[in-house]
Amino acid sequence: MMVDTKKSRGSKGPLAALSKGIGRYILILLGLAILDALGIWLLYLLIRDGAWPVATPIAVILILINVLNLSPKLFPIRWQIPAGAIVILIIIFPMVYTIYSAFTNYSDGHILSKQQAINRLAQDTYLPEGSQTYNWTAFRTEEGVFSLWLVDQGGEDYLVTLDTFQDAEPGEGIIGPADENGVPESLEGYQRLARLEVIKYLPELDGIQFGIYPDQVQIVDLDYAAPLVQRYSYDPELDTIIDEKSGIVYYANEDEGYYTSLEDQNLIPGYMVWVGVHNFERLFQSPAFRGPFLRIFAWTIAFAVLSVLTTFAVGLLVAIAFNDPDLKGRKLIRSLLLIPYTIPGIIGVLIWKGMLNPHLGLIPLTLERMIGWAPEFYNNPFWAKIGILLINLWLGYPYMMLISSGALQAIPDDIYDAAAVDGASGWQKFWNITLPLLLVSVGPLLIASFVFNFNNFSVIYPFLEGKPPMANTPTPAGHTDILISYTYRIAFEGGGGSDYAYAAAITIVIFFIVAVLTLIQYQYTRQWEEVSENV
Amino acid sequence: MKKKALSIVIAAILGLSLLLSACASAPEPTEVVVVEPTDVPEPTDVPEPTEVPELPKIVIWADETRSPIIEEVAALYAEVLGIEVEVVQLGFGDIRDQIKVAGPAGEGPDIFIGAHDWLGELVANGLVAEVNLGAKADSFFGPGVDAFTYDGVLYGMPYASENIAFFCNPDLLEEYSVARPETWDDVTAMSETIITASGGEVAGWTIQSNDPYHMLPLVSAYGGYIFGWTDAGYDAQDVGLDSEGGIAAANWLADMSTAGYVEAGVDYDVMHTLFEQGQVACIGTGPWALSRIRESGVAYEISAYPAGDATNGRPFLGVQGFMVSAFSENQLLAQTLLQEVVATDEFMQAFFDIDPRPSAWMPVREATADLDLAAFASAGSAGMPMPAIPEMSAVWSAAGNAEELIISGELGGEEAFMDAAEQIRTAIAEGN
Amino acid sequence: MSSQTPIIPAEENKKSAGLTSRRRWGMALRYLVALVAILFALFPVIWIISASLNPTGSLAGQKLIPDNASFANYKSLLNDPIHPYKTWLLNSLKISTITSLLGVISIVLSAYSFSRFRFKGRRQLMLALLLIQVFPTLLMFVAIFYLFQQLGQYIPGMGLNEHAPLVLAYLGTQMGIQIWLMKGFFDSIPRDIDESALVDGATHWQIFWKLIFPLARPMIVIVALLVFIASYQEFVLASVLLKDKAMYTLMVGLYLFVSEEFSKNWGIFAAGGLMGALPIVVLYQALQDQIIGGLTAGAVKG
Repeated sequence: MMVDTKKSRGSKGPLAALSKGIGRYILILLGLAILDALGIWLLYLLIRDGAWPVATPIAVILILINVLNLSPKLFPIRWQIPAGAIVILIIIFPMVYTIYSAFTNYSDGHILSKQQAINRLAQDTYLPEGSQTYNWTAFRTEEGVFSLWLVDQGGEDYLVTLDTFQDAEPGEGIIGPADENGVPESLEGYQRLARLEVIKYLPELDGIQFGIYPDQVQIVDLDYAAPLVQRYSYDPELDTIIDEKSGIVYYANEDEGYYTSLEDQNLIPGYMVWVGVHNFERLFQSPAFRGPFLRIFAWTIAFAVLSVLTTFAVGLLVAIAFNDPDLKGRKLIRSLLLIPYTIPGIIGVLIWKGMLNPHLGLIPLTLERMIGWAPEFYNNPFWAKIGILLINLWLGYPYMMLISSGALQAIPDDIYDAAAVDGASGWQKFWNITLPLLLVSVGPLLIASFVFNFNNFSVIYPFLEGKPPMANTPTPAGHTDILISYTYRIAFEGGGGSDYAYAAAITIVIFFIVAVLTLIQYQYTRQWEEVSENV
Repeated sequence: MKKKALSIVIAAILGLSLLLSACASAPEPTEVVVVEPTDVPEPTDVPEPTEVPELPKIVIWADETRSPIIEEVAALYAEVLGIEVEVVQLGFGDIRDQIKVAGPAGEGPDIFIGAHDWLGELVANGLVAEVNLGAKADSFFGPGVDAFTYDGVLYGMPYASENIAFFCNPDLLEEYSVARPETWDDVTAMSETIITASGGEVAGWTIQSNDPYHMLPLVSAYGGYIFGWTDAGYDAQDVGLDSEGGIAAANWLADMSTAGYVEAGVDYDVMHTLFEQGQVACIGTGPWALSRIRESGVAYEISAYPAGDATNGRPFLGVQGFMVSAFSENQLLAQTLLQEVVATDEFMQAFFDIDPRPSAWMPVREATADLDLAAFASAGSAGMPMPAIPEMSAVWSAAGNAEELIISGELGGEEAFMDAAEQIRTAIAEGN
Repeated sequence: MSSQTPIIPAEENKKSAGLTSRRRWGMALRYLVALVAILFALFPVIWIISASLNPTGSLAGQKLIPDNASFANYKSLLNDPIHPYKTWLLNSLKISTITSLLGVISIVLSAYSFSRFRFKGRRQLMLALLLIQVFPTLLMFVAIFYLFQQLGQYIPGMGLNEHAPLVLAYLGTQMGIQIWLMKGFFDSIPRDIDESALVDGATHWQIFWKLIFPLARPMIVIVALLVFIASYQEFVLASVLLKDKAMYTLMVGLYLFVSEEFSKNWGIFAAGGLMGALPIVVLYQALQDQIIGGLTAGAVKG
């Protein structure tokens, strides 16, 4: 049913309509102009400072807002602007970021950019062999110029400034008399800084070379100054780093993201580089696929499907049971039934875990007392799965209860009356009227719940971390592991620390798997949408 | 349509004019957080003196137990020293995760608290700066300093060094007329006695079902190990779970499981509750548990781990300390604060008081009147620092699963440990 | 099917006839269901309460009333100078409320457009919205951190350690699923209403505001509640974006108590979580009146 915007304009006089239209139009233009000005300014600042990944979605949003508001044909899409802008910024942007990461080697050892790695290496210093170290005392003028009194290991005294390094004696010239440690009490024009007083000036003194080549010192700590030398120097033309201490030259290795020497020694830290499809190749050659991949995949689907079915069944049952306004206390009952949803999920999972504990948990203990046997919820693969489904049911039915009760309101009573007149029983009313109509609005949510539970790491992991363990697998696997917990384990518990890029690649592959499943279910539920249009 | 084109032009003109007027009075560019400085200083360059803000500021990340003390001390010293100190409280594990993101982005701390086994990751990512203990180096616990040394460079100032030890309930031992077990075979015998005598109500010994950290003393007692130790540190190519010693330990555990002397499904909470309620005679745990054990009132005795064929069980040493972020813009100041404020008797004592763990600061460590902590220290005298190398991440699930499979009886000892060793080798090979 | 004829709600018929015995059985059955359901729902909660009364802070206690049971955890939490629990609670309430209100506006606008209009690409856009939820959010926090770190340099209030970015982030994560939900609800409102109003010369905005909105009120309230709860319970993004204790939300603050490997204080966490759950329950209780009604109130106005 096409909605024609012009037709809905109203049937007042054309002139009145026109003036109203123009007034509104000017308002829109003004609003856009202000928005554009602010937006362009923000984009300018972002791009100037190199943050074009952030600038891009904002530019897209700005353009869309302009186009949608200026084109009358696109009126219906205008309603999407608030939600659309938010989704582009908060969902699409991280998605693109994740996809990009999957093609890099972003992992432990490669989280810095090349420039950051160079900077980090530039910080390292060393003391050349045979160098003197000095005790020092600082003097400071009112304007903030520093001078240091140095005493070397042989007891010789020196006075240094930013560009001079001179032998000195207390009592000479501007140098005041010595105190009991042999350090001058004063220096003309300068104030002597006590040990603790110097601390606040340390940021200024940090890294500053006093003296003049070849006699230079830096402050090392409150006791010592020494002629520290930068250990790694960078040659931008050749893109190499030289270890001044050993003389070894390191060349940029863009394939792996390291500076590497001819002897295959890598400089730590490495940096992030583009690696193309390397992570995906690794994934498909991974031992994880040789392992119980199919078993885990099957359980993941089973877990998601069963979770949806059980939570929906219970949620719906409860919603229907307390839909009757005559039922006394139903407000209270429904509020009490919501409570599992209001408690932080993690503690819910852990309390259930405690209740199912074979030694101390209430449920096994009670069962043993009553019937002499209790399931091994932690060790037996089957019962562990039942356990996690039970927990998920407890956590999830209130949500289903809420949306079912909302959807139930939408079914007009007269349908039921008509059915009653036709002699339909309660069950028939439910099965042929309530359920189909309910599924129209709730259907896509069941799919969404399936998707959510397919990747429901935050329930599986706190319970038993995927255990009980499977024996004889190439990589660690557990019976309650779902696809995502199983595969992320490779990325975060592999031999190289945390491999985020690898995890991103895994994420994308899982996305495709679930997307396919979702599309199939979506096609299936599309027919329900047609049902509602014909009611 | 002409109208459409016109409206676009008008919007653009209005927009531009507003923009131009705004630009005319645009403020100076704000201080941009330096993520990618364009220059690398030459060796002989004198860096431009940076604009010093009103008060130099130091940001410290600490966990919720220790940040109160740090805040208190910071308040005391900030005035005197003329600096500003900000303490941010995070979960202990979160510090490591978030510094990876925040540090390079310029939003990280100057100083942070952490465990020594983070160094593998932190150093690989260029996140930590060298730390210098200065004149106070000798006042620190040697193995603690060693633990914070990675690839020959010191990256942290330790404040506590801890390990687990063997806890037994003397009342229970007396009740069942058994002596404190000194070897793992004694443990088997003791378990048999106690379980039979109590009809299964009380157990002799229990351990967390999936926990390589608590299992190590058993494995090491038979000569097994996780990674081989060389002069250069741990060797990731030498996995010791399926060594002779490792398998001997695994078989001991399998025998206990077959005999029904060790229970499955035990986690940290359960293990402690059992001990505190007098349902198990011996467990292994660390100084962090002292307060709950003391509060429960159960009688306890701390000793070194029982011995296997090779030696007394050797636990992992976990060392905690202060580290300096490589992305800090005030490294010298941070370093100095550590030397002057942290490395003092007062500070280390206060740290100890708020969370009793064997201190890494010798004066406090030696002065500890707490006999329990002394017992921990002696139990840990032969301890091995937990491997800090990145390859350690492959060990937890593999070794833990092996332990659980043995205890539940699904796999025999040798098979389980050999599988685990293979899994670890696969993960290491695949990850590199 | 035209629903212009006035409706006598079915209940009224039965009421005037007095409660039939069949109806009484039905009621009894419902109370039974209520009992079982409430037991299932609340039994673990009783254990959580028990944990909160346990001064040792462990979760593995076996007794319903723990030894030395006391309100120590509650007192300690409410009076803790280092952990501003009340501030955290207020922060969470504030953020969740704002997210809920702003969310409802954007969700309703978008869902209405999907439900009422037919435009090119509508189906594809809806599908895209569904597929977006499919994407696992593992690395999302890194990107979001970077986003607001940059934005915060130019837009005051939008940077790290502020609440506005959290609101935006939560809105983003809720859009996909809530728009679908809302659209589904809108779809169940017969389009004859729109059509007859159009014929009478109403604008789309008038139709939406005066006709559809009142009928959809129960659904809108539910969506608002769902968004509220989701924002309230969220942890990962809040812990990444917030660094100042005074800015923490409830979940982030409570997590401090259980984040150390061997010294987790579940007792305080439970106490804090329970106290934090109260506002939601109270909110739901209060809103239930809004959720009842809608079409069953009968009036399908012309």
